[in-house]
Amino acid sequence: MFFDSDLLMSALRALTPILLAALGGAVCERAGVFNIGLEGMMLMGCFTAVATSWFTGSPWLGVLAAALAAAAYSLILAVGTVTLRGDAVVLGVAMNLLAVGLTSFLLRTIFGVQGTFDDPSLAGLPLVGGFSPLAYLAWAAVAVAALMLSRHVWGLRLRGVGEAPEAAATLGVSPARYKYAAVLVSGVLCGLAGAQLALGNVTLFSENMTAGRGWIAVVAVMLGRALPFGVLLAALLFGVAEAAGFRLQGLGLPQQATDAAPYVVTLGALFLSTAQRRRRTGRTTGVAS
Amino acid sequence: MARPSTDRITRALRSPVTFSVLAGLVIGALFLVGTGADPFAAYGAVVTGSLGADGIGATLSTVTSVLGMALALAIPLRAGLINLGGDGQMVLGGIAAAVTGLYSPLPAPLTVVLALLAGITAGAGYAALAALCENRFGVPLLVSSLLLSYPATSLASYLVRYPLKEPGSSLPQTRRLPEGVALPAFGTSTVTFGLVLVVLAATAYWFADRRTAIGYEIRMTGLNPRFAAYAGVERKGLTLRLMATSGAIAGLVGAIGVLSFPYRFLDGSLTAPGYTWTGLTAALLAAAAPLGTVLASFFFAVLQVGGLSMERTTEVPRELTQVLQAIVIVFLAARPSFSRRRRKTVQEPIAQGEFA
Amino acid sequence: MTRRPSDGPAAGVDTSGDAPAVDSPPVEAPAVVELRGITKRFPGTLANDSVDLTVRRGEIHALMGENGAGKSTLMSVLYGMERPDAGSIRIEGREVSFGSPGTAMAAGLGMVHQSFKLFDSLTVAENVVYRAEPRRFGLLDRAAARRRVRELAEEHGLAVDPDARVGDLPVGLRQRVEILKLLHRGARTLILDEPTAVLTPAEADALFAVLRSLTAQGRTVILVTHKLREVLEGSDNVTVLRDGRVVARLRTADTTAAEIATAMTGRAVDLDRVHPEGSPGEVVLDVEGLSTAGVRELRLTVRAGEIVGIAGVAGNGQSELVEALAGLRPVTAGRVGLRGEDITHASATERRAKGLAYVPEDRHAVGTAPAATVADNLAMGHHRTTLASPRGLLPPSAVRAHARALVERFGIKASTPDVPASALSGGNLQKLLIGRELAHGAPLLLVEQPTRGVDIGAIQAIHDELVAYRDAGHAVLLVSAELSEIRGLADRVLVMYEGRVTASYAKSDADEATLGLAMAGGTAEPVAATATAAATAVATPAPTAAAPNTPAPDGD
Repeated sequence: MFFDSDLLMSALRALTPILLAALGGAVCERAGVFNIGLEGMMLMGCFTAVATSWFTGSPWLGVLAAALAAAAYSLILAVGTVTLRGDAVVLGVAMNLLAVGLTSFLLRTIFGVQGTFDDPSLAGLPLVGGFSPLAYLAWAAVAVAALMLSRHVWGLRLRGVGEAPEAAATLGVSPARYKYAAVLVSGVLCGLAGAQLALGNVTLFSENMTAGRGWIAVVAVMLGRALPFGVLLAALLFGVAEAAGFRLQGLGLPQQATDAAPYVVTLGALFLSTAQRRRRTGRTTGVAS
Repeated sequence: MARPSTDRITRALRSPVTFSVLAGLVIGALFLVGTGADPFAAYGAVVTGSLGADGIGATLSTVTSVLGMALALAIPLRAGLINLGGDGQMVLGGIAAAVTGLYSPLPAPLTVVLALLAGITAGAGYAALAALCENRFGVPLLVSSLLLSYPATSLASYLVRYPLKEPGSSLPQTRRLPEGVALPAFGTSTVTFGLVLVVLAATAYWFADRRTAIGYEIRMTGLNPRFAAYAGVERKGLTLRLMATSGAIAGLVGAIGVLSFPYRFLDGSLTAPGYTWTGLTAALLAAAAPLGTVLASFFFAVLQVGGLSMERTTEVPRELTQVLQAIVIVFLAARPSFSRRRRKTVQEPIAQGEFA
Repeated sequence: MTRRPSDGPAAGVDTSGDAPAVDSPPVEAPAVVELRGITKRFPGTLANDSVDLTVRRGEIHALMGENGAGKSTLMSVLYGMERPDAGSIRIEGREVSFGSPGTAMAAGLGMVHQSFKLFDSLTVAENVVYRAEPRRFGLLDRAAARRRVRELAEEHGLAVDPDARVGDLPVGLRQRVEILKLLHRGARTLILDEPTAVLTPAEADALFAVLRSLTAQGRTVILVTHKLREVLEGSDNVTVLRDGRVVARLRTADTTAAEIATAMTGRAVDLDRVHPEGSPGEVVLDVEGLSTAGVRELRLTVRAGEIVGIAGVAGNGQSELVEALAGLRPVTAGRVGLRGEDITHASATERRAKGLAYVPEDRHAVGTAPAATVADNLAMGHHRTTLASPRGLLPPSAVRAHARALVERFGIKASTPDVPASALSGGNLQKLLIGRELAHGAPLLLVEQPTRGVDIGAIQAIHDELVAYRDAGHAVLLVSAELSEIRGLADRVLVMYEGRVTASYAKSDADEATLGLAMAGGTAEPVAATATAAATAVATPAPTAAAPNTPAPDGD
C-alpha cells in the first residue's frame, strides 16, 4: 500500500513549515505587500530557535525567540517597501541572501562550526499525538486567518488596503499601518516555520537549511490565491510530494529524483492552475465582446 | 574646470550606489568590532589578500565566474526581468561541457570549442524553458526560473553519482577530461582563457546596450514596459531572447568551470561558491548597466577572495563578506530612487486637471 | 443635456420643470462652509491666492475654473488632504483645521473624487461601510451592512444591489456607491469633483435629480466642474476661480454662459476657435466591420488631408478602437486597411512601418518612459528606421541630434536632451509625445485626448500642429472627450455609442446640441446616413453654433 495513513502523516509533518510561512505570505499578499523574503525570515527563525534552545535548554524559548527574531527581521521589508517605497522583489531577494550570510556567519562565530550544528543534547520540540505542537498551531492559524480575513473588520480593512490603498486612505484607514502589521505577522509565522523546521522536522541547524521552502511557500500563496484554505491545499500538495519522495527513495529511486520532485510538482500545479484561470477568464471576455 | 569635476564627485557621493556600498562597509565594520576584530586590519587584509601578488590570480579566476554570472543576470534585468535560475543553467552548462569533453571523438582543441558550445546551448535551452513558462503558462519568470533550477542541479548531481561517476572514486565527480581538453591558462596561474571569453561577452553587452536598436529596446522595456509595448516591442519574444542569452552565458560559465581546474564536473563545485548570487547582487548594484556590472563584479570578487585572507589574519569568518554583499543590496533596494526606475506603472497620471 | 435649451439673453425665463434653479434657498441660509484667505503654494506655483468661498446650507454651489485654476487644490485643502499656507476654514460656524480626510469626514464633509476611490473586489455593502462598519463581536455584521445600504438607497433614490461586486458595476452605479459611502457616514456637505466626466447625459440627469433631493433635505453640495452647461442647469450659485484667485461670484439664475466663460478665461469669449476645413484626398484608413472587446462592427474611413473626430462619452469603445487600429489589441472580426493594404492582423511594428503613428491617451504610463532621457523618449519608433543603420546599429550621436532637432522644432522646454523626461511639465511632455509622432510624417496619425491636462498655451500650439499636419496631406483620426476640441479641429465628426459609430456629421452640422444627443444614444440607428438626417432634424431648432451654451475651452 503506497498511499496509506503513514504517508499522510508524514505529508502533514512535512507541510507544517511551508504552511506557516505561506500563511504569512498570504496575509502580506492581501495587504498588497509582495513578500518573497519568506525564505530568509524562515532561515533566521531556524537559527534563532536552535541557538536559543541550545543555550537555554528550552525548545519553547527557542520557538518564542525564533518568532521574535524573524519578526524583527521582517521589519527590513516593512521599512524598505512601505516607508521608503523601495522595490519589494529586490529587497526580498536581498533579505534571503542576507539571511544565508548572517546565519552562516553566526554559526561560525557562535558555534565555531561550518556547515551543520548538530548535538545530541540540543532539545527539540516534543511530539503531541504524533505531531509537533506547532503543527496544531499551524492548522489553527489557517482557521483564524480565514475568519479574520473574511469576517473581521480588520480583515476587511486589510483587504481594502491591499486592493486600493489610496481609497482606504481617503476613508481614514492608514495603509502603512496595515501593511506593517501584515509584514510583522508574516515575520512571526515565518519564525515559527523556521522553529518547526529546525526543532521539529529535524533537530539541528545547517547552512541554508530552508533549501527553497520559502520559495515553495511563495508559490503556495499564488496557487492558493492568498486564501488561507487555498494555501493549506497548496501546502498539502507539497507535503504529499515530499513524503511520497521519501517513500519512493525507500523503494530504490535515487535521492536526487525525490529531491527534485516537490519543485516539479509545484511547477506542474502552477501550470494547471494558471491554465485553468486563463480558460475561465477567456470565457468571460468571450461573453463581454 | 574644477567646478564640474567637484560637481561630479558630490553627485557620485550622493548616488544611492555609493551610499549603499559605504553603508555596507560601515555595518561590516560594526560586525568586525562586535567580534573583537580591528576593522581596519580586516579590510586591509581583504585588499592585500585579493589584490596582492598572492591573491590576484585567485581574484581574476573568481572574476571570471562572478562577472560571467553577473552578465547572465544583468542582461534580462536590463529589461526588468529577474532570472533566479542561474544555478541550474550554469550546472547544466557544466555537465553538458563535461559530457562533450569526455566523449567527443574530435581532436582536443576542437573538443574544447565543442564543449563550450554545448555548455552555452544547454544553459540557453534551459533558461528558454523558464521564459516559455511565463509566456505560455503565465507562471512569473522569477518563480519559474527558480523552481526549474532545483531539478537541474538534482539531475546533474544524479548523473555524477551514477552514470557518469568516476570509477573507484569516493567523490561524486566525473572522470578527468582527456589531456588537452582544457582552456589554456595564463602562465602557471589558475586564470584561463575563460576570463577573456567573459570580458568579450561584457564588451558585446556594452556595445549592444549603448549602440544598437535592440539594446535601446531592452533599456526602454526596463524603464517602462508599457511604453515599449506601445511602440511595438514584442514582450514575449524579447523575454525569450533575453532569457536564452542569459542562460547561454550562465552555461558558458559552467563550461568554463569544467574546462578549468579541476578539469571535471564535481558535484556542488560550481554552485557552492555562490557565484550566481554574487553575480545577481553585482547586477542589481549596477542596475544592470554594462560598465557598472563589470566594476561591481570586480568589487565582489575582491571581497570574496579577500574574505579568505581576512579569515586567516583576523579569525573573522569569511561569511562576513557575504553579509556585507547582501547589506549593500538591502540598502540599495530600500531606496525609492532605485525602485522608481523599475516599477511597472511609473506614476499616476497627474490628477486630471490641476497642475499639469 | 438639453433641459434648458435657451440660455441666451433670455436666461432667467425658466422653461424647465425639473431644474428649479430659481427656487434656490434664500441667501440668509446659514453658511456651512466658509473659507477665508486660503493661500497654498507649490514649488513654482501659487495654486490658491487668498481665496474666499462661502457655501450655504441647502444649495448646490458650483466651483468653476479651467485646468490649473486651483479648484482641486482648494478642495484638497478643504478636505484635509493639503495644509494651507494661510487662511482659515469654518464648518457650520466652527473654526477647524483638518489634518486628514478622516477629520474632515468627522466634521460632516464628504468627497466624491473624480477617479473613484472604490475597492473593486469588495461588495457594494462592504465598500459603503468600510471603516464605519456595523459589528458583532468585532466581526463585520454583514446583514446589518446590507440593511443599511438598502435603507440609504431607498431613502435617496440610489438603488443598487448591496451584494454586487463593485468591479462588475457600470460607472453610473459606482458613483452611487461613492455617494452612499458619504451618506452612510452622515456627510452633510458633499463635494463632487467633475462628477459627470464619465457619465452619459442621461446618467448625469439622474445624478442631478439625486443631488436636488439631497439639498431638499438640507444637505449641501459643492460641485467642482468646468462644464458650463451643468452649472447653469444644476447649480444655485457659482464661484469662478482663475489663476488661483476668485474672479467671480454669481447667482446662477442671474448669469449667462458667456459671463461665466469670460470670467474663467479672462478674455472675450472665443469658445469656438474653429479651424478651416481641409481638402480630403484619397482614403488612407479604411475600417470595415471591425469588432474587438468593446467595439462592434465598426465602419469608418479617414482620407488624406482630413481630420476625423470621434466624439462620445468616455467608455463607449473609443480607446479600444484606437488600440485595435494601433495593433495593440487583437481584432476579432472585420478588416482594417491602410493605404489599400490589409493590416488587420499586422503587428504594431508592421503598422508603423506601413505608415501609422499614434499619440496615446496616457502620456505617463504609455506614451513615454518618464525615467528615460528626453533624447531616448524622442527616439522611440525612429530607432529602427531613420536613426538606425541597416544592421541595427543605433549611434548615440544620431539619437541626440534627432532629439535636438525635435526639441527645437516643437518648442519643447528641456535644458538638454539628457535630462529625464520626468523633469518636463505636463504640457512639454505632451509636446514631446506629439512631436515625436508627427516627426514620423506617417500618412495616418491616431491621436487620443491630445490636450488633456495641458495649459491653454500648449493647447493652441498642439491644435495648430495637428491642423498643419493635416494640411500637409496626412490623415488624422482624433479621439477626444472635449466637444470643443472635436468641433474646432475635425472635418467630419463620428459619434461612438456602445462600441459602434452611431452618427456621422459634416463639420458644419456638428453643433453642440446635435452631438450631445447622439452621444447619449439619442439617434439609435447605427446607419450613418439616417443618423445624419435625424440629427439635422433635431439640430434645426437648436441655437446656432455661435450661441454661448458651449463648454469652456479646457484641457480635460
